[in-house]
Amino acid sequence: MTSPAEDVEVVAARPRPRRGVSLRDAGPPIALVVVFLVFSVLSSEFRTLGNVQNIMDTASVLAVVTCGITFVLLMGSIDLSAPGIMGASAIAVALLVANNRNDNDLGLAGVLMAVLLAAVLGCVSGLALVLLKVPSFMTTLGVCAIGLGVATLMFGGVQPNISDATLASLAVDRLLGFSYLTWLAAACVLVGYLVQRYSRLGRYAYAIGGAEEVLSLSGVKVAPYKVAVFTLAGAFYGLAGVMVTSQLSAGLVQAGKGYDFAAITAAVVGGTLLTGGRGGVLHSTVGVLLVTVLTNGLVQIGVSPYWQGGVQGLIVVAAVAAAVLPQRRRNQVVK
Amino acid sequence: MIVKSRSAVALLSLSLAALAFTGCSEESNAESGNDSPAAAGACDPADVKLVGQVRNESNPYEAAWLEGGDAFAESVGLSQERLTYDGDSTKQQEQISQLLAGDTECLVMNILPNGDSDTPPIVEQAQEAGAFLVTQWNKPADLEVTDYSQWLSHITYDGVTSGQQIGDALADAIGGSGGIIALQGILDTGAAKDRFAGLEASLAEHPDVKLLDQQTANFSRAEALEVTKTLLTKHGDDIKGIWAANDDMALGALEALKAAGKEGQVAVVGIDAVPDALTAIEDGAMTATVSSDGPWQGGIGLAIGYCVATGELSVDDIADRAWFAEQFLIQQDNVADFTSPTVDASEYECDNVFSRSQGPIS
Repeated sequence: MTSPAEDVEVVAARPRPRRGVSLRDAGPPIALVVVFLVFSVLSSEFRTLGNVQNIMDTASVLAVVTCGITFVLLMGSIDLSAPGIMGASAIAVALLVANNRNDNDLGLAGVLMAVLLAAVLGCVSGLALVLLKVPSFMTTLGVCAIGLGVATLMFGGVQPNISDATLASLAVDRLLGFSYLTWLAAACVLVGYLVQRYSRLGRYAYAIGGAEEVLSLSGVKVAPYKVAVFTLAGAFYGLAGVMVTSQLSAGLVQAGKGYDFAAITAAVVGGTLLTGGRGGVLHSTVGVLLVTVLTNGLVQIGVSPYWQGGVQGLIVVAAVAAAVLPQRRRNQVVK
Repeated sequence: MIVKSRSAVALLSLSLAALAFTGCSEESNAESGNDSPAAAGACDPADVKLVGQVRNESNPYEAAWLEGGDAFAESVGLSQERLTYDGDSTKQQEQISQLLAGDTECLVMNILPNGDSDTPPIVEQAQEAGAFLVTQWNKPADLEVTDYSQWLSHITYDGVTSGQQIGDALADAIGGSGGIIALQGILDTGAAKDRFAGLEASLAEHPDVKLLDQQTANFSRAEALEVTKTLLTKHGDDIKGIWAANDDMALGALEALKAAGKEGQVAVVGIDAVPDALTAIEDGAMTATVSSDGPWQGGIGLAIGYCVATGELSVDDIADRAWFAEQFLIQQDNVADFTSPTVDASEYECDNVFSRSQGPIS
């Protein structure tokens, strides 16, 4: 946790006690290890190398979505736009790379355009938040609907299936045992962490979540940073949409269905608070792994599908309760 | 903050309501005075208004349904109004209310209710307004079509039959013995329950086929991908076949097989006959699916309503008002017949609209 970075920007702003790994940050990783060990004991299939690869591959999309949502949560805002933005980017990329609907074959450029579209949609959320002063809950819900609308228009009744060999192989081909998508997700987490730790954007996101008034009073224009955070989050959702398209070899309007709450759950389980200012990309990634291990483990040990939803919910609530326990005094009012 | 968002919502809903109102009033017809809704046959064919309502157009099956409705409407020189409610029950009810607030005299509605519990209010409203209603797929078991004069028909498919058909096809494909896994639909839906019951019936007839595991993937392609990957690591090469309660999940399972390098080694079956599944069957990647014939569904509901509205068919003459329609098992040998489905126009003729009936819903 020692940073070689020259702390130019934040001379006075950074509070000292943030340094070092405190006990409260260790909760979710410990829970992850415990859950992993319990499943390993209960199921011999769970502890195989193949299954660990499977868990990592499964976690990849959620990890990228959660990376994006973490920045929004750090600011104390909420973002429900992931399903819409992912759907729009999934359909867009499927129509831009080689596919069965048109003659486009843009390859990587198509991917970048889809991510750009997603970033624009994210930017719209941010602009609506700071210019129209609509709470992020509403703006992102609206942008989600816009994204799904854009996706449905582009969908036009016929499923676009991709034939672009590179994109399709990302989910199948492996490097050192993990699919390329998993490596892509790992790279996203790394980039997310670097942005969070070493860029002004990341540090202001913390500050906005911690004490926005103080930041404004000290002369920082907060609004552009908020828009930037939503744009960044949108770009992450866009990339996640591309990843789902790669996995399914087809662009689906419903590519991002359920990822909004799954990502928020993972972030909170990992220790990124909904109140803002606490947590981070690495915390959230631990949450992603915890949730994924849980889903996988319950199938591996053979819990009946009729029970799984309930059991999973119970464990998540318990994990969140455990994670926020040390901070109970800080969150005196829970609403 | 709360006040602001609330007023925004209020504003939004007000403007939406206003929009819907103007939409309806434009449609209203000068013809009035005949307020007996049961005056079937009073309608001039040109005055009939056809409405098809499904969840969304972003799903190939429901898009095909609406296409079928358009095709029928065109065949009688009318056009179909398309309504979609995004799988949102509240939105569906609002659309129905708005529709019925307009001119309902010769209104024919072919509706896909979102769930069982959404059907009763739709039926009640249509009955009161005197619109001609045909519903498909979802209806509470204890709601009798014959209790209503305006609810002309409820059409559905026997999920047990389709689940068994693909179960048998799967058993044949793996040579009558071996392990299979099942991907269930949303567990609390009738379709998921019936289809799985069909699989169980099929398993009873094929004692050497063993169900290794069953999980839900909620009818979703993405979820099926993840669940299948997990089950593949759990059971490995023991899995000879995958039974999926719909084609989307079957296609997700195919992707999982591709990722595991087992493409073509495991037989996969589904239900619904979505275009991608038909392509997969053509290519030999998938074994079988079952078609309910979406385009026909989109047309037939309107056809029945049209026939009654114009007096060519009397409600009293309909033998089974709630009936199972015929479904078709599609395999590689007959897939070509279904890749570009065309509905025979004679099936929409008023004395022939019940030609696909498989008997009353028991």
